[in-house]
Amino acid sequence: MSGLTFQLKAAPDERLDLSALIPGRLAAMASAEVAKLVVGTSKRRLTVGDVFAVSGKAGDTVTIAGGSSRLDFIAAELDQGTVIVEGDAGMCAGRKMRGGRLEIRGDAGAWLASGVSGGLVLVKGSAGENIGGQRPGDPYGMSGGIVVVDGDAGDRTGDRMRRGTIIVRKRCGANAGSRMMGGTIWAEQGFGPAPGILMRRGSLIGLAVEQMLPTFVDTGRHDLVVLRVLSRYLASVLGQRAPRPLSGAVRKYAGDMATIGKGEILITA
Amino acid sequence: MKSRGITIDDTFAEAFTMSATGVVITADSEKWARQAAVTMSGFGTSVIGCGAEVGIDRALKPDQTPDGRPGVRVLLFGSTPDALEPQLKNRVGQCVLTSPGSACYAGVESKTRIGLGKGPRFFGDGFQTPKRLGKSRYWRVPVMDGEFVVEESTGVVTDAVGGGNVLILGNDRAGLLATAEAAVAAIGEVPDVITPFPGGIVRSGSKVGSKYKGMVASTNDAYCPTLRGRVQSELGPDTVAVLEIVIDGLTSQAVANAMKVALRTIIDTGGAKGVTRVSAGNYGGKLGQHHYRLRELLP
Repeated sequence: MSGLTFQLKAAPDERLDLSALIPGRLAAMASAEVAKLVVGTSKRRLTVGDVFAVSGKAGDTVTIAGGSSRLDFIAAELDQGTVIVEGDAGMCAGRKMRGGRLEIRGDAGAWLASGVSGGLVLVKGSAGENIGGQRPGDPYGMSGGIVVVDGDAGDRTGDRMRRGTIIVRKRCGANAGSRMMGGTIWAEQGFGPAPGILMRRGSLIGLAVEQMLPTFVDTGRHDLVVLRVLSRYLASVLGQRAPRPLSGAVRKYAGDMATIGKGEILITA
Repeated sequence: MKSRGITIDDTFAEAFTMSATGVVITADSEKWARQAAVTMSGFGTSVIGCGAEVGIDRALKPDQTPDGRPGVRVLLFGSTPDALEPQLKNRVGQCVLTSPGSACYAGVESKTRIGLGKGPRFFGDGFQTPKRLGKSRYWRVPVMDGEFVVEESTGVVTDAVGGGNVLILGNDRAGLLATAEAAVAAIGEVPDVITPFPGGIVRSGSKVGSKYKGMVASTNDAYCPTLRGRVQSELGPDTVAVLEIVIDGLTSQAVANAMKVALRTIIDTGGAKGVTRVSAGNYGGKLGQHHYRLRELLP
């Protein structure tokens, strides 16, 4: 593993757009060019050299040492290689990723993995609202890839998500899977109020639901083979990071019956 | 040449390039996975009349299947991928979907794909739902015992081999059958091959063509013991029966491996059971792309 390390010199005093700092884009650039990349979002036009001390040689990995909740768009449009954040990340980390791996060793802000179509996003801490969600102008939310959040997730996780898998080790906030069109959200410790509001398809899996919407219908307890397939698939991709395998036995609620009702909330308790 | 008292003809088996696909069937127990697999393999002995040659490759342990349940891998061989697709659709739809507790997944990895759950999913009448995991897409079709999970497509290869064979000749029909059974059981341990005929054994070897218009194949009179004297027979005076084992494989090497295993079993056990000679079927080497010389496969 080789690559450039961007050491934050001091806590940034404005929001920074770090979308340029991905291995594929930096590989062809000389170090002087890298230092001149604009990352500021104000009239000051802060550059990489103003904000970071850069070390190492361009390779398949980019490391951002020293995190901040003002570091936005980290690993945006990443298609190969690895981006590591040794600290917190701001908004839209991993936005529109198509491949590769983003590893955030702190917390992530809102819109983590919005518009992602492939790749792997790992967050050691918690993440904000709208993980894998739909940003204004997007046709839908996440459409592929895997997101794993070791902590809690904010509200509206997977809003209008179409495909892919979001795993939350702890708990999702309110309205997880809102307007969901497909894919899977697996919150190991369950969901906050009103998950799946206006969902059409897709699966929400969790220990419990704080408040079930009246537009979800109880279909009883079932042994679902597809959950075994899901568990084995995640084990093959995530190894030790995979959630504990499901036996398949769950209580299934179908909904949102206010739409076409092909979605489901599966209670593992 | 002779081996353990059994004459081995200096000849070769002639086999053909075919297309092949496969599925993995799982169920709550191996018994029920096998039941679905056996049902799906029915009427799948020869492309001449069945549309596909179908058989069980091997049983799979729970840790070898996509859902962690016991499974069985079934392989299907046909003339082209287009010919295989309707066979797969009908056999999965009628024989696997209907079997209690079953699920069906891709059994061959290849860039070229043909529909597996594409047709059977419509049995769900609009209640079916998709689930994409990585590169695979699965359909969940509601049925009366829960859900039938079926992968959308499976791989198909166009460089498979059909028609590898061994002929077992002897003077004791029951002993020949027992020897052939043992050889088929041994082939069962070889991966990526099937023996599509009943119990893996053929008693009606064929020749190309017929005196009757429209018949593409007819009885191999040179190997029929009751015709000895009437036709130019290939049989010695002591031969009372001939049984054939036909082998289809995903690769030429797999077919060769299976023939090796069959030959070893026949030579090791056949002498005491009335096997006097081993041969192979060919068409003079002009029709098939693959030739397997018996002397090169001997143990």
